[in-house]
Order: sequence, then C-alpha cells, then structure tokens
Amino acid sequence: MEKKSGMYWTGLSPDEAREKLVNKDKSMRDKRMPLKQAVAEFIKDGDNVGIGGFVNIRQPIAITHEMVRHGFKELTLSWQSAGMAPDYLAGAMMLDPDRFSIKRIEMAYWAHEAFGLSPMFRYLAERGLIEIEDWSNYNMSARFKAGAMGLPFLPTRGPLGSDITQTSRTNVVDCPFTGRPIALLPACNPDVAIIHVQAADMYGNCIIRGTDCTCAEIAMASAHTIVTCEQLVAHELVVSNPKDVIIPFLAVDAIVEVPFGSYPGACRRHYYFDGEHIKQFHAAAETMRKEGRSDLLQAYYAENIFGVETFGDFISKFPFEKILAAQTAESFNYERLA
Amino acid sequence: MTASTDYTAQEIIVVAGSKILEDRKVVFVGTGLPMVASLLAKLTHAPGLIPVFEAGAVGPPLKVGLPLSVGDSKTFTSATYLKGLNAAFEMTQRGFADIGFIGGAEVDMYGNLNSTMIGNFPDGYQKPKVRLPGSGGASDMAASCERTILIVPHDKRKFNKKLQYVTSPGFLDGSPNARYNVGLQGKGPYRVITTKAILDFDEETHRMRILQVFPGETVESVQAATGFELLVAPNVSTFPAPTVEEVRMIREDIDPTQAFVKRSPKQTSDGIDSNDQMPFLTPKNERMLHASQQS
Repeated sequence: MEKKSGMYWTGLSPDEAREKLVNKDKSMRDKRMPLKQAVAEFIKDGDNVGIGGFVNIRQPIAITHEMVRHGFKELTLSWQSAGMAPDYLAGAMMLDPDRFSIKRIEMAYWAHEAFGLSPMFRYLAERGLIEIEDWSNYNMSARFKAGAMGLPFLPTRGPLGSDITQTSRTNVVDCPFTGRPIALLPACNPDVAIIHVQAADMYGNCIIRGTDCTCAEIAMASAHTIVTCEQLVAHELVVSNPKDVIIPFLAVDAIVEVPFGSYPGACRRHYYFDGEHIKQFHAAAETMRKEGRSDLLQAYYAENIFGVETFGDFISKFPFEKILAAQTAESFNYERLA
Repeated sequence: MTASTDYTAQEIIVVAGSKILEDRKVVFVGTGLPMVASLLAKLTHAPGLIPVFEAGAVGPPLKVGLPLSVGDSKTFTSATYLKGLNAAFEMTQRGFADIGFIGGAEVDMYGNLNSTMIGNFPDGYQKPKVRLPGSGGASDMAASCERTILIVPHDKRKFNKKLQYVTSPGFLDGSPNARYNVGLQGKGPYRVITTKAILDFDEETHRMRILQVFPGETVESVQAATGFELLVAPNVSTFPAPTVEEVRMIREDIDPTQAFVKRSPKQTSDGIDSNDQMPFLTPKNERMLHASQQS
C-alpha cells in the first residue's frame, strides 16, 4: 500500500494527457483500418488501457482477442465493472506471462453477475500476481470523468467510510466550503481506450444504444481510442441527429467494423448473452485455478484465439443457430423494424 | 392465500425483500436477489415502484423479463431516463434514491458489508485468501442512498464482529453521527434480510436487532448462527411462509431459468461456487444463496 503523500499517476498525469492531445492530429479523416493494425499502432507495452462497457454489456471483446494475439507486457487495466474483456487478457497471462502480462488493475468489480465469479481474477489475485487498486463503480466513473474534464480530481462521497479509502489513492479532505469530509479521487487518463459501440462513421463519430456506460468519459480521457462497431454507416446518417453522437471523432484514432464485437457478451439491439460459451470458457480457467492443469485453457486459446486470424473467424466457429438464438433473444428485449 | 410448504431460503428472502419495498418509492437495485425481489414487488403490491439500475436505467417497467445484469438490455426497454453510470450515481448522490438494495459476503453488527476480499487485511490485501468481485456500486449505494436493505446469507462465518474489509459502510463503529462525521449522506441500513430472519438496527446504539424470524427459526437459533451478540426487538414475530402463489410467481413468471433463485444447492470442494457472486461457506446440503454485492 502506498502512502497518500507520495501521489503517483498510473496512466498519464493530467499534464501529460493534455500534452498528448495538443500534439495529436485531430482532423476529421478516414480512420478505418484492420483491427490488427489498430492494436499494433496504438497500444504499447506498459500502457494503461481503459476498458469500455459494463460487466458483459458492450465489452470490447474483439479488441481483447487481438491484443492477446499481439502480446503485450506489463499493462495497467482500468475499468468500472467488467467480465469477459479482462478475462481474455488474464487467461492469456495465466498461460504464458512472458507473452502477455498485466501489471496492475484499477477497478470496482470483476465478475459476471448471473454467470458467476471470474476464475481468472481469483487465479491472479490469490497468487499475488497483479497489483490491485479497488474502487467503486462511481469512483472509477468519476475518475474517468475527471480525466475527460481535464481536471486532476473530482470530489465524491463514494468511498467515504469504506476501506477503499485505505487501499487506494483517495484523498479525504475537509471540504473548503462546508467543512465536512469529502473524498478526492485522482483522474484516470489512460494511454489508450478500447471501446465497442453499435454504430459509427469512418471518422469515428459513435452512436451508443442502451446504457452509455462510461465509454464517452473513457474515450475523452484517453490519449488514444480504438473503437470497434457493429455497423459502420455513412457520416450523414450518424450526424442526422447530432445529439446521438456520444463519442466525437476528435477522440477516436481507429475505427473498425466488427459485427458481434462484444460476443459472447451482449450488445443492445443486436444480440443477448451467450451464457453457455461464457461458462465453457470459465470451466477451462477454473480447472487451471483449482487443479493447476492448463490443458483445457490452452486448448480454448489455441482454438478460439491463436487458431484464427480475425475475430470474424472466431464468430464463424459458432453454428448459425447459435448466432441466430443470440439475436432472437435480444429481439425479445428490443423489438425493431427491419 | 395458502402458505407454501415447499420453498427455498432464497425464495423467502425474495418475498421478504419484496414486502419491505414500498410502492411509489425509488429503489436502487443491486444484481441478483434484489432484482428478483423488486420485480415481485412490482408485480404485486408495488406497481408504482421505480427501479434504478446503476448502468443507467431509471424506472423501467421490466415487462421483458428478469435482467441478468444491472446493465442488461431488459433494464433499458421503456426506461424513462437512460444515460450511463455517472448519471445514475450523481442522481443517487443528489438524493433521488430512497432505498438501496445490496448484498455482501460478510456483515458486522453495525451493518457494514464486505464484498472485496477474505484474508488478512491490510497486509494480505494484495494476496487475499479468497478474492471476491469487489464493490461494484455497492459502496456508492451505501454512501448515498437514503436507506439501504442488505441481503446476507445467515452463517456464523458471515456475521462477524470485525469485517476483513469494509467495502460498503453501514453505521461504521455505531457511534452517534458516525456516518455524518465521515461525510456520508443518508440514514444508513434499514433492514438486513438473511436466510433465517429479518433484522433492523437499534436507533440509539445502531446495533443489529432481530425483528422477525423465518418459519422454523427462533431467536436462539438465529443468535446461534451469528458471530456477535444480537439485540432482540420487543415481540419478535414469525415472518409468514411465502404463499403458494408467491413461490409460483418466482419460479414460473420471474426467474424460470434459475438465473438467481436456484432450486437445488450446489457445493464445491472449497465451499465456493463459481456460479455464485460470493462464497457461501456453509455445511453441505444447506440451501445455497446466490445473493449479490454488485449493485
């Protein structure tokens, strides 16, 4: 545990984040590129990576698969609540830490609600293999928001009275106006944001359906943003109602059309969870956590990640009926005209 | 109303939780059993209940079924307001949420909750014996909802004098104005619903108090399953068994796939079910509780 007096930044400091943006090409240009290129170009070893979505909703799964294929070392991962995205990265570390490693996580929740705990998180944490900084959902959301606002901190009530104030960089001070204690949370400015959305244009203007999660804040706080989208559509369509644009092109560096980019998680209007596949992946990791046997997890990665070129190839492995079922399940949640 | 003779510990928790929710109030709903209880309340005595989910949905009618996540697509359909996490928590901090409905793996006599880790704190924080999912939104709800309802499976190892980690603050050390003094808002925990009883908190000492026991339980049996001394309210009554119709609604209408309300117990070698949000360290054959702490 670090002393509060010795403040340190685990992503970009507010000044560095400002400097990166000042020097960035912010022009409205065609940012389409293959996912492989986007990951290689905008993510580096040691980066702080901000992960979009919420638990298994609209998580950037395709991007995490590509990150695993590329291999990265000593990453810091930041999110509020997440499931499958950090699971894929952590599973890669369990199998071969020389090829993929996570140094630190800053987050509120890593599990799967109805689909159970994360065996990957338990494996890494209970062996002391990663640094953990616990926050709450509002804490992490406010930290990204501070970063997006160009401020070094935001005051919140959130962690007051909780041991989160002891194990994080929270600074509890007396409010200069009321005199009562208030928690100051340091901004989170990741090096790179990874985000999946429903629709975008080639410049990176993004439309999100369902919850916004904390995606806009993460993108605006980060030095770079990689976005995958279900549908790449004409610019005119995206800006037909400018208020629909929740992440502006200014914040985006790469845009890639990846249908089913959050699968086996869910994506509003497009597909519901594939709980069966989530459980199958977890069973392989749970075997390694409990019995030390890595063969099942190894086989999962060999087949689904290292054995394919692209995320589209991974999706192609699912039978048509399975994909249709995920779409049909979502159509009960949200009925839409063709 | 025929009383059911075949119901599980989770089902009576759901019914108790549902009955505590008042119509026309705003309830910030955590994942798992609080979602089932809120839906049951909405379908029975509280059609005007306004559920809020931390991923952003405010006031959805929940007519497309039980959400599997507090960010589930089912929470967005016909919601009256929908932004993201910051907006939901800012509303709560402002005072829009009457009740927060949360759970934890461990609770103390002042209603503080742990959903972070089991092990040696602070020295073992970076290498816990069992790593739990973390706060999610629970600590924010505990900090800013006007009142909170807590769900914790009743077990001596879960009702402890001292928590291993305080994730979500209740009455802290129980001292007068403890919450106010550290900067918190809201009046703190209102009820604790367990597998054995419904408890509240003494107004002066803020200590946990037995209010009602579930059928088959007594003040003594509840105390015996608790790792600290409980206060006892005057005239402790027995909470009635769920009705046949309530059990049918839970099993057939609300959670037919047993996403959260399981019919049969599951047990693993280390007492931790990977299908659970939190470990449930009970003897074999006891009903498993899939409660919630992510909220």
